[in-house]
Amino acid sequence: MDAVLVIQSLISGIMIGMVYALLSVGFSLTWGVMHVIHISHAAFGLLGAYLAYSLLTIYGIDPVVSAAASAPLLFILACGVYRLLIKPVTKAKEVIVASMILTFGLAIILENIMALIWKADPRIMTPAYASGALILGPFYFQHPHLVGFALSIAGIAAVYFFLKKTYTGMAVRAAWQQPEAAQLYGVNLYRISMITFALAVSTAGAGGISLALLNSFEPHSHNLWLIYLFLVVIVGGVGDIVGTALAGLIIGTITGLSMAFLPFQWVNLVTFGFLMVFLIFRPHGLFKQGA
Amino acid sequence: MKKAPLIAAAIVVVMLAAFPFLSPEVYYLSFMFSVFMYVILASSWNLIGGYAGYLSFGHAAFFGIGAFATAKMAALFELPPVLTILAAIPAGAIAALVAIVIGYPCLKIRGPYFAVVTLCFAFVVDLAVKNIEWLGGAEGIWMRIMDVQEKLSRSIMYEVMLILMVATLAVAWWVGRSRLGAGLRAVRADEEVAETMAIPTANIKIQAFVLSAFFPGVAGGLFAYYLTYIHPDVVFSINISILIVLMAMFGGGGTWLGPIIGAVILTMVNEGLSTFARAEIARIIYGTLFIVVTIFMPDGILHFFLKRNRGR
Amino acid sequence: MQGNRRKGISLFAAVAVLCGLLLTAPGAAIGAGKPIVIGGSLPLTGEFAETGLWIERGMRYWAEEVNAKGGLLGRPVEFKIYDDQSNVGKAVTFAEKAITVDKVDLLFGGYPGTAARAVMAVAEKHRRVYVSMGGHMKSFQQGYTYSFGAPPLMGEWWYEGFFQWLNTVPADQRPKRAAVYTINNPVGLSLQDSINRWTKYLKIDVVINEKYNSPLTDATSLIVKAKQMNCDILFSNGFFPDGVTTVKAAKALDYNPKAIVQGIGSVVPAWVKELGKDGDYVFSGTVLHGMLNYPGNDKLNAYVKKRYKLPAYPLYFGFGYVWMQTLQQGVNGAKSLDQTKIRDWLKTHQVDTIAGPMTFDKYGLPAPINFATQIIDGKAELIFPKNIRTKEPVYPKPAWKK
Repeated sequence: MDAVLVIQSLISGIMIGMVYALLSVGFSLTWGVMHVIHISHAAFGLLGAYLAYSLLTIYGIDPVVSAAASAPLLFILACGVYRLLIKPVTKAKEVIVASMILTFGLAIILENIMALIWKADPRIMTPAYASGALILGPFYFQHPHLVGFALSIAGIAAVYFFLKKTYTGMAVRAAWQQPEAAQLYGVNLYRISMITFALAVSTAGAGGISLALLNSFEPHSHNLWLIYLFLVVIVGGVGDIVGTALAGLIIGTITGLSMAFLPFQWVNLVTFGFLMVFLIFRPHGLFKQGA
Repeated sequence: MKKAPLIAAAIVVVMLAAFPFLSPEVYYLSFMFSVFMYVILASSWNLIGGYAGYLSFGHAAFFGIGAFATAKMAALFELPPVLTILAAIPAGAIAALVAIVIGYPCLKIRGPYFAVVTLCFAFVVDLAVKNIEWLGGAEGIWMRIMDVQEKLSRSIMYEVMLILMVATLAVAWWVGRSRLGAGLRAVRADEEVAETMAIPTANIKIQAFVLSAFFPGVAGGLFAYYLTYIHPDVVFSINISILIVLMAMFGGGGTWLGPIIGAVILTMVNEGLSTFARAEIARIIYGTLFIVVTIFMPDGILHFFLKRNRGR
Repeated sequence: MQGNRRKGISLFAAVAVLCGLLLTAPGAAIGAGKPIVIGGSLPLTGEFAETGLWIERGMRYWAEEVNAKGGLLGRPVEFKIYDDQSNVGKAVTFAEKAITVDKVDLLFGGYPGTAARAVMAVAEKHRRVYVSMGGHMKSFQQGYTYSFGAPPLMGEWWYEGFFQWLNTVPADQRPKRAAVYTINNPVGLSLQDSINRWTKYLKIDVVINEKYNSPLTDATSLIVKAKQMNCDILFSNGFFPDGVTTVKAAKALDYNPKAIVQGIGSVVPAWVKELGKDGDYVFSGTVLHGMLNYPGNDKLNAYVKKRYKLPAYPLYFGFGYVWMQTLQQGVNGAKSLDQTKIRDWLKTHQVDTIAGPMTFDKYGLPAPINFATQIIDGKAELIFPKNIRTKEPVYPKPAWKK
């Protein structure tokens, strides 16, 4: 087997895996902290991608800039969504189930609003550098991959430092580990949950934009993205930020290696099959022991 | 007291069975066929997902296995239409068999992890069928058209699906009141506690999983024959898997009636919306329905009404 | 208190939704001239929405035109279009609804191929003429007598024009080694047919022949392999998303074969609009084209230019129109809405359409039609056969401009 092919496949596999991780990190956070499975997470990511697309085609604004600009916008939008829709279901007997049904509905609504605004035609995000590559020896680092990779590292690091270093972030973690005790210490659970949810959604925007640099997208694309979300989050462990990043690496490595060594027809099957076996043997994610 | 619901159910079934004799238009038969089908899917999913709380997100796999097994048997043995319909039963058995093999390792995994393992499983089956020519292939399979009047052939499919629905619901009813059901509910409440109570959790989970795979398998076989042409994209669609879960949960998971309510309402509303409203708007209204119902009835429609009645 | 207010809100919400429902319900047709109703379903939402909507636009343009000229058999035409949500099961149920409940006079053709394959059986069982793109050769070999591909989207014919053109290229300039990547579904599999036949004939070595399953999220390895094996022609037999991913990777990795041939992704208007220069020089095929010298094409182009700001009508707009055109001539020829008469007329007479004249064989298929196309300067140009050529083909493909 040819070394260049293997390494090249690995490079792009890992970079794409990291983009999935960026899209997933917020999903993992809402699930871990609030026990809300946010099905419309990817749809918000797609909304970010569409916004960036419009900014690029109309005003020529670079998607990376849009990723930064769309974050506060999505943050505010998500605060509203939390206030109106998510908060009521956090009182359900089974938050996971109720939130899933509700956000499934929200995803359908978002998808069709996007279809009304941007039409059903497929779109491609093509900033000037989109089809270039950084060439190091025999290896090509494709620009969209590099940008996605960089955004991913930045986004995941931002979430990580928010949780570890800021007061609000520490309150989020406290609220998540011991909700009763945290409340006793004056942590406002409602506010904390809203911030968590909104932060999660704003990272989805950057994730959606990075993914849009790699593949074409349509209003229904979020359904496909959602599958990656589940896979990355489960492999990384729910609520585990570093785990999410590592899961992106692992999934990227599996895809990359199977792309290099297997007939392409079997790549997707092997990826899903491997994940199945993986889950059977490590049912709590890669880095957690026990439940 | 206890007989009243039984009599009511019997009357409903007789009325449904008599429906084709009123000579309705074919569409109504087909539409009811799909309502029955989703009731079967949601109710059988409920056995493992509702009673035991093991959310399977890959139930379309069993549906698809049943569909392809039926189509494959029909092609392999050149079955006439009547036998093709009957072939759905062994096809369901194949789905059940796969459920044993898959359930054994997967049911050890709990919570959301189980959901994702089943999701992956559905993709694996879908891709295996597409990649391996013998299992069906990416081209799909055509089946022979029934050589009778269209109304008669659709009436036959209607009655067969009705029988399957009654059988599924009877089994679901029985499970709900049996020791199996009690055990599954204990698993859902707290699996560790259930184990200390000497409930053979692993065993009953497998039983529920196999039952919940068998009926969708048979339904898949009937659906294949109903379509006459099947393709992996159609029967293994992730949308079916998700829809089944939503229907059961929407109506009220873990109850006998909940999935029936969910399946009937969602199928009817979706069909009605497609008829009355413009495409995207119809979908937006459909999405709003999920939100409104969850906000006001976060534990499902059935629980909402049960709670209210108890309140009075 | 709280409970009551909640109940009130929920009731209000339910009423609001119902009102919304009623508002969007189309007004019932009033019996003026008793219109001819043409019914069926299209994927207007979900995965195949984009194509479904183009078909609908083409059909509606046809109806506008027919109604302006006094209608069909002297009666106005109108559509009853259901949204099947890109779901084949729903496509079948809605076809039955159109036939048995709405009792429509005629059926229109659906999309995608899998839906057409299933609906062809319904049409046959109800003895309804079904003019559509079909689901490739296999679907027309099922013995259905009421189905017509007019013209079909026939994967088996799709590259025919391209290979005929390649045959005219001097042997020493032809590509020698081919990389063939095919999406693993009915479209992809049927596209392989002509490649297998012609590469043998033209003595092109198929060095790589692989399938992939949708979604294709990364094509890096595909391109690296093709590059390493020195393949000088690339077949990307797929749809828009995978086609885009493949072409983008080819550019990023600086892979410059003599020719890139793409399946049915490059016929989507977005190919030119979104890919821009990177989409140039890709070869494909077509059965319809705005520059074809058949009557009607100019009108369609002018309409699309005005209404949608596109240089020429998209393939599926044309499909929506031409299937209706065929049906129209069948009805006019049979002078009746009797389905069997329409079918028999279509089987024995020639129809003249924007895709040219067609006569149908016992499978409901016209003689194989195919024109080779190449995207040149952001436009899909006809390059073969020579008599319809709109631009000289660009071969070998110029290297990527960075």
